[in-house]
Amino acid sequence: MNYTTSRLSALREALRRTLARPVAYVLVVGSTALVFSALALGVLALWRVLPMDAPPWMRPEALVLAAGAEGENDLAATRTALRQVGLVASVDFIGRDAALSELAQRKSLAMIGLNELRPNPLPDAFVVRFAAGATPDAVEAAVAELRKVKSVDSVEYQPDAYRKLSVLAQLAGRLSLLLAASLAAALVIGVALAATFWARLDREEMRVLHLLGADPSTMRRPYVYAGAINLVVAAALAWWILTSTAGWLEPAIANLAQQYSLHWAQNPLPQWSGAVFCLGMGLLGAVLASVSARLAARR
Amino acid sequence: MRTEPQFADPGNPSPLLVLERVEKRYGAFRPALVSVDLTVRRGEFLVILGPGDSGKSVLLRMLAGLEAPSGGTIRIAGEDLTRMRPGALAHLRRSMGILPPGGSLLDRRSVVENVALAAWVAGTAHEEGVRRARAALGLLGFDLDRYGGAPCAQLASGQRQCVALARALVNRPALLLLDDLVAPLDATSAARVMKVVDQFSEAGVTVVASMRVDTSVAPPEPGPWPARARVLRLLDGKIGA
Repeated sequence: MNYTTSRLSALREALRRTLARPVAYVLVVGSTALVFSALALGVLALWRVLPMDAPPWMRPEALVLAAGAEGENDLAATRTALRQVGLVASVDFIGRDAALSELAQRKSLAMIGLNELRPNPLPDAFVVRFAAGATPDAVEAAVAELRKVKSVDSVEYQPDAYRKLSVLAQLAGRLSLLLAASLAAALVIGVALAATFWARLDREEMRVLHLLGADPSTMRRPYVYAGAINLVVAAALAWWILTSTAGWLEPAIANLAQQYSLHWAQNPLPQWSGAVFCLGMGLLGAVLASVSARLAARR
Repeated sequence: MRTEPQFADPGNPSPLLVLERVEKRYGAFRPALVSVDLTVRRGEFLVILGPGDSGKSVLLRMLAGLEAPSGGTIRIAGEDLTRMRPGALAHLRRSMGILPPGGSLLDRRSVVENVALAAWVAGTAHEEGVRRARAALGLLGFDLDRYGGAPCAQLASGQRQCVALARALVNRPALLLLDDLVAPLDATSAARVMKVVDQFSEAGVTVVASMRVDTSVAPPEPGPWPARARVLRLLDGKIGA
């Protein structure tokens, strides 16, 4: 045993003690790295889906059928009236001729002689989309308002489908919140474990050194170095897991986002962010170890 | 600029330790110390007698700057302990020899390492620290050849007390704070230890030693302490005659 006050010997002491328990060290640092990378993956995913607009298929919509034999002016007035109803985000017009020609292109309908129908039996229609995130009750109230608009013949809206979707979205939101809270708690525990894992082991020595009048900063130095080293190693490992996992999942997630009309930015992580992440974690480890060492010496 | 306390002044027996209305409370429990007034002069040998939980250890810990009082002031060589920064308190403790109850030894370290640690902490070179440790242990009659390299976990309680006392003496301190000095020792060892401490006291070192006594029986007359020692009694946190 030796006791010196130089920084180099403090670093040597930190490394010696850290490597004296290699299995415990690998377990603690490895689990911390896993928590870091899981959290960083979550943050990265959040950053890449921003701005987080609900895709068109998640927004409630209704098909408004106009009364027959409307002129262009009447249709424009109807459209304006529809837009003025609360919660309505957009109104798209589908003319009866366009609808018929689209239907006629379908082979199954052509076979039953739809093309020969004269006059065109289809009504003019409007696709009304409501604001994303509106509650089912509010949407149903808005649909009732749509039905009152002059020259509206009928409104087709499936309340059950949106209610089910809304419940699922609520559940997903709460589960995400729970997952984020669990990850944050795991991060705090992981960081505290990694930073104090070594300091906890020598509390008795801290007490004795405190009793003998060791300089507080000198006494804490090996612990601070060890805490910083632990979290820098954990952060570097986490960064490697993060970049590897992100590269592996990227094509699948991008494809999924495309299929479901979700926004997914293609921005890769800036090159400097890894260095900043590791340095930041190192600083955090040093601070946590310093606080732990102070508490250990006082008890 | 803060000046560190100056101890060594054997020609002038001015007060080294001055306690004024010192109190110590732990939450809502019975106070550990109640309005303690005490003055200890330089070179004085003060013995504090009291039963368990009478406040002796708390008092010595506060004199060492290891605990802050709940009220009152503690001055050491004119400096108010409660106003000193942690670094200055640590510097102060390096000038003291402290024997905590139970010794507070590092069990996995050897006897010589435990004693030399105090010297190393005070800035003594490694080899010189080992030499001083061996000298301090030899002074107390410790069997260095047999136990010097042994881990402290293998020692009996009396031997541990000798090692802890050697650690307190190794830096030739100006103030010795010795808690439960002779508790784990037999009569012969206690007499030998007390003789060594008395030698330091005669050389000008201020000694504050606590000893546990059973209040239901009269303490030994004369006690194991030197005849010139001043004896105080502490009961329920209050200083008696």
